[in-house]
Amino acid sequence: MKKQIAKTISVMLAVIMVFTQAACGRTAEDAWLENACLDKDETTEELYEKALRENILVVYTVSTRATKTKEAFEETYPGLCVEIRDLRSPDLVEEVEKNYYSGHSDCDVIICNDNSGEFKSRIADTGIAVPYLPSDIAARLKDPESNTMGSFTYEAEMLFYDSAKYDECPITNIWELADEKYRDRIYMPNPLHSFSTYAFCGGMLGVEDRLASAYKNLYGSEPDTGGMSVSDYFWKSVSENVVFTNSSDEVLEALGSGSADFGFMVSSKLRLIGLGYDIAPIYRLDPFSGCRTSYSAMIARNSENINSAKLFIRFLYGESDGKGEGYKPFSTAGTWSVRTDIPDGNDVPLDEIDLFVPDLDVLTENREHLENYWMCVLESKA
Amino acid sequence: MNRKICKLLTIVLVISLLYIPGCGFGSQPEILYVAIPYSDNIPDIDTNYYINYLEEKTGLDIVVSFVKMESCDEYLDVLFASGAEIDVVLFGGSFVPGDGVLEEYASRGDIYLPDGEFKYVSEGWDTPAGAGTVLWINREWLENLGMAIPETTDEFEAVMEAFKTGDPNGNGIHDEIPLAGSPDEYDLNPAEFLMGSFVLNDPYHSRMTADGKRVWADPSYRAGLEYCRGLYEKGLMDKGIFDCSYAQLCEMVNSPVAIVGAFTSSSIGDVIYRGNPEVMARYVHVPPLTGPGGASYAMIPENKPKIGAIILSRSEKKEAAKLLLDTMMSEEASLIARFGEPGVDWEYSDGKDISIYMTPSTVITRNYIRDVIQNKNLNGIGPMAVPEKYIYGVTWNGLNSDAEYVDARAQTAYMDCFAGHNGEFPARNAELSDYLDRYMIAFVTGEEDIQSDGVWGEYVSGAEEILH
Repeated sequence: MKKQIAKTISVMLAVIMVFTQAACGRTAEDAWLENACLDKDETTEELYEKALRENILVVYTVSTRATKTKEAFEETYPGLCVEIRDLRSPDLVEEVEKNYYSGHSDCDVIICNDNSGEFKSRIADTGIAVPYLPSDIAARLKDPESNTMGSFTYEAEMLFYDSAKYDECPITNIWELADEKYRDRIYMPNPLHSFSTYAFCGGMLGVEDRLASAYKNLYGSEPDTGGMSVSDYFWKSVSENVVFTNSSDEVLEALGSGSADFGFMVSSKLRLIGLGYDIAPIYRLDPFSGCRTSYSAMIARNSENINSAKLFIRFLYGESDGKGEGYKPFSTAGTWSVRTDIPDGNDVPLDEIDLFVPDLDVLTENREHLENYWMCVLESKA
Repeated sequence: MNRKICKLLTIVLVISLLYIPGCGFGSQPEILYVAIPYSDNIPDIDTNYYINYLEEKTGLDIVVSFVKMESCDEYLDVLFASGAEIDVVLFGGSFVPGDGVLEEYASRGDIYLPDGEFKYVSEGWDTPAGAGTVLWINREWLENLGMAIPETTDEFEAVMEAFKTGDPNGNGIHDEIPLAGSPDEYDLNPAEFLMGSFVLNDPYHSRMTADGKRVWADPSYRAGLEYCRGLYEKGLMDKGIFDCSYAQLCEMVNSPVAIVGAFTSSSIGDVIYRGNPEVMARYVHVPPLTGPGGASYAMIPENKPKIGAIILSRSEKKEAAKLLLDTMMSEEASLIARFGEPGVDWEYSDGKDISIYMTPSTVITRNYIRDVIQNKNLNGIGPMAVPEKYIYGVTWNGLNSDAEYVDARAQTAYMDCFAGHNGEFPARNAELSDYLDRYMIAFVTGEEDIQSDGVWGEYVSGAEEILH
């Protein structure tokens, strides 16, 4: 409650500040946006020259792979320094918002999972961060029209199984996860602290017809949900068997150690199979094995290192020709390229995997219900 | 005249009373002199939240005297030999008394023991009891070489060999140290960890088991030493490992260019500097390795609580000192000592969140103030008694480089390897432990020949003599 009041006051103050400045003519933010020249075509050489006169670039990221991009960036552009702050998605949104309303521009670039609706409604739609998509790179995107939030890679939140225990996936239908034999054998990040898990769990509200038909395929009848939505009924049935974790890393480790039979986690963890984790992705499942997700890179409004930020985002996209080092850390098993000239990191293409694309509007409209529902689920597990 | 003298005396008496601390009008708080080891992490003790809280709770004026001597034992020698005006000494961090030092001073009557015991302990600051040491391996090097996290001692040796010869840091120089460590603490010595793949190795109890078995004389223990000797001889274990200080180990591991392939420590935060997410991201825990005989034991640290504070017998303010330390041991104060300012640095959780140990959460940390410059508490110095539910109930703050979270994941992976650690272990025999520790180093470095039955026999006889 206190948080909400503080947030409301912060928002009101920010609005008052904006209007006070507006009364005097152009706002500081307009000036920032104008000076940022986000639509201007600039070469990397031009940006680099200007970036050398700027301060350390601060990147807030939800992916540790950004550290690799940072290292390659500093090597490619001597004299530029990047500071990486590795945060979980909800914490990142909180921090970025706090920075903005306090008037500080503590971060320059934001790399975040953009699938829960939270990032869109609180950061992108409010203009707290702005996309930067140079025209030479935009021309090479598979889907430039829908890329309004600077998505630079596709991933998935999907189901995996313990491949040391099972030679092949022991289930063909997602409702089988409700079977009592899997009690405490399914690991999943807490959806209230993981945007991609939240997108998967909440996004099911938008594909309930498919969920219901899968139930019928398995049991021969419609589900008797007792008045609940099919999605809520599904999770009520399955959550009995779920052990909730803080992150996908814990899911990976549980699968790798044999503590779990199944685990929902981000597909990019597939890159760690080489480290000896016995996990296998479930590509085919009735009606789906997960949902498609994506990662965004945007520039924080009021960033003081705008040229470094632009240069970094270009680098992250793989530069104009797609051959730059910056995207390579993200081009791994379990990832799919947003560009036509960069091959997917994953052997199996996205369209051959049973995934749904979460409807962000459904997630936003049902946020209160979803949060309350999952709080109750977590409470019942305590 | 007499009346005048009487009046004058009365005035003098009243003024005197005013100046006696704790008496008269506008009483002054009682001053308590407290010695605290100096820490860079506590910038201003006068405005320190915890000290101010304690002063408010007790009504005392806590005058802090910072100790700049690094050796706690030397400081105690000087303190007790001098007449320094100190009532209470707080311990913590690397400023801790050696084995038996406090007991000796207490037996001489220099330390005041309320209720006849060292009751002011520190419970809750250190990593919760679990594995005493964890093996951390360079994940990036494994990925660069296309190798898996080792599960057995043979696989581990193969990985170390590849780390040595495969230029995993890619700089074209043979500057890689496959396995680094330090003899300063058992948890930093990788040989101690590796011995668990051969036998239940418990250096904290003179390498004996609960049923009195002399592990140090066991053929499996010898096999473990032979394995470690092999790693050392091949240059897979750093040749300078037994001369390397803790500080030097930290410098190596935190080097901007990765040069260390693996190391051991009870907490990753003990070795990797704070605010260094790039280095933190390099390493991942390795569950205990399985040895040729199938052994796979985690090392358990000594669970004896550390003493957090003492009251000097010569103090004339023992009641005030007790009041302070009893207050520090309260739940409210302990939570401040552990997590910082309530409502700002942390708050109680409604239990709907998940702790870093995957249990219902009890505490949500807002600001991570452990081992960083802050002015909220004493950064682990002094007594505290944090209830277990709060130690294990901490939520993750969302930072992948949060050492506490990284540690918790490692501890979870070690839980299955605690078999054999049941029952009451024999008390540590300091002389025997020193002897065994010396011989371990001598066998690994080749100063003593582990292959020689004669040398082995002499070593075992020497240890038995100490016991007799």
